[in-house]
Order: sequence, then structure tokens, then C-alpha cells
Amino acid sequence: MDVLDLLKKDWKKKEHIFDQVSENEIYNMLHKRSSSIVKWILIISILEFVILNGLGFVISNKEIENFEKLHPYLNLIEKANYFILLGFIYLFYKNYKSISVMDSSKKLLQDIFKTRKTVNFYIYWNIFISCFLGTFGVIDGFNKGIGDGNGSHTEFSTVTYILIFGFSLLLVFGLIIGFYKLLYGILLHRLNKNYKELQKMDL
Amino acid sequence: MSMKSESEALFVKQLKENQNIIHKICRLYTTDADAHKDLFQEITIQLWKAFPNFRGDSKFTTWAYRVGLNTAITLYRKKKRTIDTIEFDNTFHRVTQEDYNFEEEERLKLLYSAISELNDIEKALVFLYLEDKDYTEISETLGITEVNARVKMNRVKGKLKKILNP
Repeated sequence: MDVLDLLKKDWKKKEHIFDQVSENEIYNMLHKRSSSIVKWILIISILEFVILNGLGFVISNKEIENFEKLHPYLNLIEKANYFILLGFIYLFYKNYKSISVMDSSKKLLQDIFKTRKTVNFYIYWNIFISCFLGTFGVIDGFNKGIGDGNGSHTEFSTVTYILIFGFSLLLVFGLIIGFYKLLYGILLHRLNKNYKELQKMDL
Repeated sequence: MSMKSESEALFVKQLKENQNIIHKICRLYTTDADAHKDLFQEITIQLWKAFPNFRGDSKFTTWAYRVGLNTAITLYRKKKRTIDTIEFDNTFHRVTQEDYNFEEEERLKLLYSAISELNDIEKALVFLYLEDKDYTEISETLGITEVNARVKMNRVKGKLKKILNP
């Protein structure tokens, strides 16, 4: 007998070994919380979104007002950012809704990754905007230093300022990227592995 | 306690009748009784969540295979726990006295432990094969072409045979 036939025979024979779950137990399960990975992705994405948008409220209004007075055209960017935000929410919702456990495994994995990518895109956009505004902030501070004439800035050259600023930026982004790699490394490790396996099969 | 709705009752009844499909998936993807229960529950929740979209014209079982496997492969987050190998061996090898065949049992033991070493996708292939699914259904479930499902299945079979006849 073929080994796999032997296995199949045994597999069928052992159907009766499972302790049967009663109807009541099933009813109870229906009301338990899911620990599905998609749910985790949704929770984390909403958290990211809330934190990113909540930061604006933490920074004092006076500073922002001053900043806006100095750079009135930045207002425009801010307004445009609202549209981008809406677009992001729409895309995220659309992608999230397309995740269906009834699709094929490959399609399911693709849709989960797509939803994740929407959030990543939003994060990158925010980093870009922060960089952009941050640069204005630094130039601002620098000019103000000159305008005040207190001379403190003379200890450092422009190059030093730019270097310090650049270094801080790198550090902050390094931390952010590291955090993401760790978080999603843990969360999506198995999905990535299985997706690669499916892709490998279709080569 | 809230009234159990009609669809809830229908779902529970169908699931109870077909629960062995889910037990079998849990057997392949988990190694101890706690994890088995955990995955069983998660698959049940996913099936229930997807139930409104389940169309009566396809079979409940066909649908349960797909949702069950997808949950095991993709959605289920394994909890970290130590593997109890003794318990593992018991679930796989509970046999009755009269049909005990030492040589066969040894080969089966080897086969099951070889299967537990396979990756998630290979396990899905073996599972669908053991359940007598044809390549059309296997390829549709996993989302790969029929030819590639066949090629991969042959590779996995070869791998298992080699373990038995090194």
C-alpha cells in the first residue's frame, strides 16, 4: 500500500477521536472576542491615525499661530492636508472592507498587505510634511537668532546647524522606522512567510 | 439572555454537524489541546462573521474548508506557549487494541511528525489532499494555478515518502 494511502486511511479512521463541541458551547464562542490579525491591524492603524492627528493639539496654539503668521502659505498646505487625510480614510476603509476570509488565501493576504500599505503611505506622507515644516522651523529659529542680535548663534556656523538638524532628523526617523519594523515584523511575520511560499509556487 | 436569532440557530446547527472539518484543521495547525480549542474558537468566530455572506447555493462544508484554512494560515495569531510533546503524541495516536499494527503505527508516527514539520501552505495542501479535494478546489482555495498546485503537491508527497524510505 502506498504510504499516503495508509495515511489517508488512518486520517479517516481518526475522525471519531475528537471531543465533540455542543451547541451551547458554539453559542458561547460566537460571543467571544476574535483575536484575528486583521482586527489587530485595524486597532493599530486607528491608534496611529489618532496619535498623528492628536499631536497637533498637544503643541501650543500660540506657537502654531506665530508659525503661521511667519509663513502664511503654509496654511494652504494644511488645508490640502485635510483632503489628503480624507482620501486616506476613504482608501483605508475601502481596502479594509475588501478583506474577506472567503477569498482564496493568496487574495486574502494581498488585501491585508494592501490595507497595511495605505497606513504606511499615510505615515510616510506625515513624515514628509513634518520634515518640510520642520525645515521652516529651523530656518525660522536661525533667522530669529540673527534678528535678536544676541550673538549666541555665532558660536555655531550654519553648517553646524544643518548638521545638528540633519542628525536629529535621522535619529528620529531611525527610531520610527525601527519601531515599525519591530511592530510589523512581529505582527506580519507569518503572513509574509506564507505569502512568499504561495508566490514561490506560482513562479 | 438574548433571543437566539433564526440565523444563529441555523449556523450553530450546521457547524455542530460539520465540526470535524474544523477539528481536523486544528489538529494539523496546533500541537496541544489548549491551542486546538483556541483555533477552533477563532475559526468559529470567523465563520459566524462571514455567515451573512454565505450563499446557500454552495455547500456549507466547502465554505467551511476555505474560511477554516484561511483563519489557520492567515488570521489566527498563535499564542506563545510551550509544546507538550506527550500530549501531542497521544492525540495523534489514540488507537484501539484490535487494529494495532506495530509496523504501520511506527510509519504513521513518522508521517505525522513529518507533516507537523511542514510549513503552513504545505500543510494546507496535505489537508486538502487527505480530504479528497480535487486540484480545482485546491487551487481555488489557495489562489494558485491548478498546475502549480499539482507540482507542489507531488513535491510534498515525495518529501513525505523519502522520510519513510530514506
